[in-house]
Amino acid sequence: MARGGGNRSRLLLVILLVTSLFLITLDLRGVTATKSSRSATQGFLAPIQKSVSNIFSPIGRFFGDVKNFPSQKRAIENLQSENARLKTQVLVNKDIQGQLKELRGVLDLAGRGGYRVVSARVVGHDSASSFSQTITIDAGSADHISVDKTVISEHGLVGVVKSVDAHSAIVLMMSDPSFKVGVRIARNQSVGVLSGTGSSGFTLQLLDPAGDIRNGDVLFTNGSDNNRPFVPGVPVGYVTSVDHSSATLTQTASVKSYSDLGNVGVVSVIISAPTTAPKSMINPTPVPTVTVYVTPTPSPSLSAGAISPTASPKASKQATP
Amino acid sequence: MSPVRIALNASLLLFIFVIQETLVSRIHLPVTGFSFYLAVLISMVLLENRTGAVILGFVGGLILDLSPSSDAPFGIWALILTAIAYLIAVNAESIDGIVSRPVGLGLFVGLGAVFSLITYLVINALLGQPTGSLGRATLVIGGNFFWTLIFAPFFMPVLLVIRETTIGSRERI
Repeated sequence: MARGGGNRSRLLLVILLVTSLFLITLDLRGVTATKSSRSATQGFLAPIQKSVSNIFSPIGRFFGDVKNFPSQKRAIENLQSENARLKTQVLVNKDIQGQLKELRGVLDLAGRGGYRVVSARVVGHDSASSFSQTITIDAGSADHISVDKTVISEHGLVGVVKSVDAHSAIVLMMSDPSFKVGVRIARNQSVGVLSGTGSSGFTLQLLDPAGDIRNGDVLFTNGSDNNRPFVPGVPVGYVTSVDHSSATLTQTASVKSYSDLGNVGVVSVIISAPTTAPKSMINPTPVPTVTVYVTPTPSPSLSAGAISPTASPKASKQATP
Repeated sequence: MSPVRIALNASLLLFIFVIQETLVSRIHLPVTGFSFYLAVLISMVLLENRTGAVILGFVGGLILDLSPSSDAPFGIWALILTAIAYLIAVNAESIDGIVSRPVGLGLFVGLGAVFSLITYLVINALLGQPTGSLGRATLVIGGNFFWTLIFAPFFMPVLLVIRETTIGSRERI
């Protein structure tokens, strides 16, 4: 092995280090050339990632499947018993379904089914060059996806679109330490901020010092101005433990997300929320008041306008808000 | 290092980078964090003299800076890997026959990758970039060291063959 050294290598080292520092300075000062070079790389890698994803998808899941085999087996058994129980329940619920259908229209669960979404497959996870937690999806600006759009899975929030190329996009996952989202507790509508921790857990900090958090509380996104980056009403997770220490001014809690972020395969990007969607999850319906109209039957024993027992068959009820 | 070899090495690194970003990143290894690219780059650096190592570190760092999912400022990997490559080249000179010892080689390459990642974290923290929890960083760095230790002896012979076929007669002397 040839070994060289001396002044030449040291001089080269200094020159290259200074060049690197110069590049860093340019990037920090917002020169677009560096940003566009990464964007070009993304454009170059996206089709390859897509092809590789098609071919090697089973290999990618192999280690995860082996690791999770015992828990998967347990999960299948649990699901089988749950399936049997649900089949019985479905029979009972058939009667209720008709009522639910009407109620659904009235209550308007915000956002549920009202969002316009673009579905995409996950073709890449994380990166060798950074500690940020991201996924690459195979849909981009050609599919009407732009930066700062909410990304969801079948279970709930996954993250937000960080950068977009024509046919791919990079999604910052909600587990990333830099990720923050405004959330509401479904039970009491208290508002807080959910932060990623870099691991599977999340931290919720309530904005109201007198707010109340309980284990099992369900969290939904609170929504942002113009629905960017977050649309309201997307399920985020549930509270697993509450920090009761008096050291902090506001209450904090640990949260588990509904989405299994480590095994996300398909996601949907919300490209537009319904324009009529309210900010709150559920639109409160006014309690109906009953007005009774009575057609009096002439009777010699009663004075005019008095309600008679015989009038009841003609009475009609009308609910007015 | 001749311009032709710089271009050949850069092409090889670019190829490895594409493999890393498209294939390796899709494999969910039991312990996360393996960077095939870093392992190959440090192994290549190990085979070079000081000048070659510094050039290779810089070029390899620039390629890694192109990673689209990276949040860090462009040039940060070039800075880190140039410095680490120089340190590796200087220290490797004192260990005879490192390439022929699989365990020693794995340890050396693994430690090089670990130092690179730690330096990256420290510089990122100094620049005010998010670095995540200490636990997660430790897991990623530990995972990287473990897998590099396992895989380095396997791809090192391939790199040696590539080097032997591309090296010029002047550099061989």
